[in-house]
Amino acid sequence: MTLDFLPVPAVIESIDRTVADNHLFTFRLDTPMTVHPGQFVELSIPGAGAFPVSTAGRSGEIFEACIRRAGRVTDALYRLREGSRVALRGPFGNGFPLEVLSGGDVLLVAGGLGMAPLMGLLQALLADRRRFGEIILLYGSRDPEAILFREQLESLARQKRFRLRFSVDFATELPWTENGFVCKVGLVTELLEDLEFAVGDAAAAVCGPPALYGCVLEELAELGVPPRRIFATLERRMQCGVGQCCHCVTSGVFVCRQGPVFSLEELRAMPGSI
Amino acid sequence: MRGYAFSDGFEDRLLRSLGRDHDLFGPVLEEGVGCRLKKVAAWGDLTFGELPLIPLKKYLLPPSDPLWNWTEEGVSPAPAPERPVALVGIVPCDLVALNYLDRVFEEDRNYRLRREQLITVGTECEPGEQCFCPERSELPSFDLFLGRGRLWTGSERGEKLIEPLREEISVREEIPPPDLNPGTAPPLPEDLEELFNRSAGLPLWAQVGNTCLSCGACSAVCPTCYCYHMVDEARPDGSVTRSRSWDNCFFRSHALVAGGRNFRPSRAERLRFRFEHKLLGFGPLRGVPSCVGCGRCRSACPVDIDISEVLAALTGRETS
Repeated sequence: MTLDFLPVPAVIESIDRTVADNHLFTFRLDTPMTVHPGQFVELSIPGAGAFPVSTAGRSGEIFEACIRRAGRVTDALYRLREGSRVALRGPFGNGFPLEVLSGGDVLLVAGGLGMAPLMGLLQALLADRRRFGEIILLYGSRDPEAILFREQLESLARQKRFRLRFSVDFATELPWTENGFVCKVGLVTELLEDLEFAVGDAAAAVCGPPALYGCVLEELAELGVPPRRIFATLERRMQCGVGQCCHCVTSGVFVCRQGPVFSLEELRAMPGSI
Repeated sequence: MRGYAFSDGFEDRLLRSLGRDHDLFGPVLEEGVGCRLKKVAAWGDLTFGELPLIPLKKYLLPPSDPLWNWTEEGVSPAPAPERPVALVGIVPCDLVALNYLDRVFEEDRNYRLRREQLITVGTECEPGEQCFCPERSELPSFDLFLGRGRLWTGSERGEKLIEPLREEISVREEIPPPDLNPGTAPPLPEDLEELFNRSAGLPLWAQVGNTCLSCGACSAVCPTCYCYHMVDEARPDGSVTRSRSWDNCFFRSHALVAGGRNFRPSRAERLRFRFEHKLLGFGPLRGVPSCVGCGRCRSACPVDIDISEVLAALTGRETS
């Protein structure tokens, strides 16, 4: 293998602007690239820079990503329009291990933009539905307007393909309901409280801000989900994607190359990781 | 490896021979400037017993290293590097550091392109006050190595390079390998990783962190510090060059992500991070210390932070 850092040129095919500052971008690549759920690419806006972003669904000739306007380079992306040219380098990282998630019920716990990588995972699980038990998505957002992939999620959940529960930090209109789904105002962990699932052979994938990891990972373990079957994906500054530039190193581990998906068992041995 | 004996003046004739196809650089001490790797023509131009302040990494990982160019037509790789370089008069610790970088950048295009045409001519060192290298059991790799009246070849390329001078040298079976260094520092304790992991809450890091200025001089002069960040240069015609540029783990931005979260917000954490890399290594090289004991960091530090003292505090042993 030669690391040449050459990206694949791509064009912005469409932009779904439903949620402010959390647009869903669809890129069409000059050369197809398969990105597994939990893996990421370095998206270049030539002239502005690059940032790591995980797949939120399809990849191949098309790459879908939900990107928050969070800094200088994403701001440059938000100033581009459909048809603009960008470049993608990747895929990087390990991704979610579908074989470890298979066999029992799968809990997906998303906080905020953490829904994006889990959307990619959810689609992969649904595409191979028989390998998994019940699929349950617990999704916490700031407020009802910030819910990502809302229509897509609700439509899939109405087809009984998975169970969907929402929580929001606050809602202006109370009581808050969302088309008949379980909705709570509070932390996403509260959605776990009365949740029924087969704990013994369950697995979980969690993605969200660090505060979410601080509580939910160990809580899942306390419920009885084995720590080697609880996964989280770590956010870090990742520029090279290949274990060179050193920004992402946590406890001696290159998050970009050895992660970014780790089991709770691994995270416990990485002080400072969560 | 093969050892040869040679007679007076051979070193200069070797450098003249190498200079035909290579740019030669070696350590030269200049009044008011310090020691640096400078273009040389003769063995006598070199300064011995002084380490160049900026180590040889700059030839393989230039401070700014173009990766690709972007135009309307697409992406093209940056042009391959220029004329081959021969680094002469390189002391063993810097050769060890080079071996370390070779492992980190094994698969890297730009590094490989430069490395494949880089010749190293090692030489025995005269340890200075700043050094604290450990005893080494293995020779670092080199193409040629010059000692007093002795020449060693360490690679096939080295053998080829001395071909034109074959008549001036004679193979000597009895010549022992070059003398690496006296190894003034004791070996690192076997439980260093455990000691390090347990040290997170120790006041040591806050104490040293409080004196640290976050200037990053230690990393700049370190022969095995290689972290970088990506920089785009956009030109008026719309073309862009993406380069990697030396970064520094002491800078606040090193672990900062968009949105403002910083995974190493304090100087103490950044300092500990650097020592983790120096003493334990990262990723696949965990367990291979990247510190070679050259002592550049402790002599470059404006507030006298000394890696060997930090190590001593960590392990409870005497400083060297």
